[in-house]
Amino acid sequence: MLEVDGSGDRELIDRLRRGDESAFASLLDRYYQSMMHVARGYVASKEAAEDVVQDTFLGVITGIGRFEGRSSLKTWMFRILVNRAQTRGEREGRIRPFSSVSDGRDEPAVDPARFEGSGRWAGYWSTPPTADLLPESGVLAAELGTRLLAAIEVLPEAQRTVLELRDVLGFSSHEVCDLLEISEVNQRVLLHRARSKARAMLETYVDDGRDR
Amino acid sequence: MIRSAVRCSELVELATDWMEGSLDSVALGQLEEHLAVCPHCRSYVTQLRTSIGLLGETPREAPPASARAALLQAFREGVSPDGR
Repeated sequence: MLEVDGSGDRELIDRLRRGDESAFASLLDRYYQSMMHVARGYVASKEAAEDVVQDTFLGVITGIGRFEGRSSLKTWMFRILVNRAQTRGEREGRIRPFSSVSDGRDEPAVDPARFEGSGRWAGYWSTPPTADLLPESGVLAAELGTRLLAAIEVLPEAQRTVLELRDVLGFSSHEVCDLLEISEVNQRVLLHRARSKARAMLETYVDDGRDR
Repeated sequence: MIRSAVRCSELVELATDWMEGSLDSVALGQLEEHLAVCPHCRSYVTQLRTSIGLLGETPREAPPASARAALLQAFREGVSPDGR
């Protein structure tokens, strides 16, 4: 996979400016679907999100010559995306997303039934997680990864967006707070809920696989 | 198992703060003390890390062929496909 961060940026930017189509194709293949997921947090429909993502890549095409490299290429691209998605969302009269983290704030990370409810060991695991969860073969890992990516679709929008940016795309917490205009604390709450649920989904897949 | 200042049900709620490095030193000490004696919570943290790793390593599906082709065309021409 083409590295689009840090030191790899310079070369990639040069290739884009030279009109190297494979460089642009690698950006499309790597970021198009993630951009769709982020855009969906701002706009009403899949079609609107497609427009926003298309506009973003057109912005990349027209702007790459002027891009000064003060941020990473990835950060620059997602800044364009969020700006366009916000504009589109406001035009649609949508309330700004991420203005509250009320979705899921009180959800426990793990089903409370899995802990002892009373007595000396209250709050300790009664149904502990499986120890050997790590997929042993690459094939299994790839399959689990694909299922997990599909499963996180069902997360509340704000949680899904933070998880996409942090764990799928590898943005730092600081970058995510900047992009989404949320506080560090809110970012962490959303990340916590999303990661806890992703872990639970993974555990379910692996345990189901064992039972079969 | 040895009882510790942090219970398992509390550890799972602190796991993200811990991984993000945002716990104060007292909470950090209590959490790591618990992890040292609780294999189940170590499994839990391993699972969290595994799912985070999978999310980062698994490529997302390719864009729809028509959108991909239109944008590649725009790149070749240096202009947007619909003239915007």
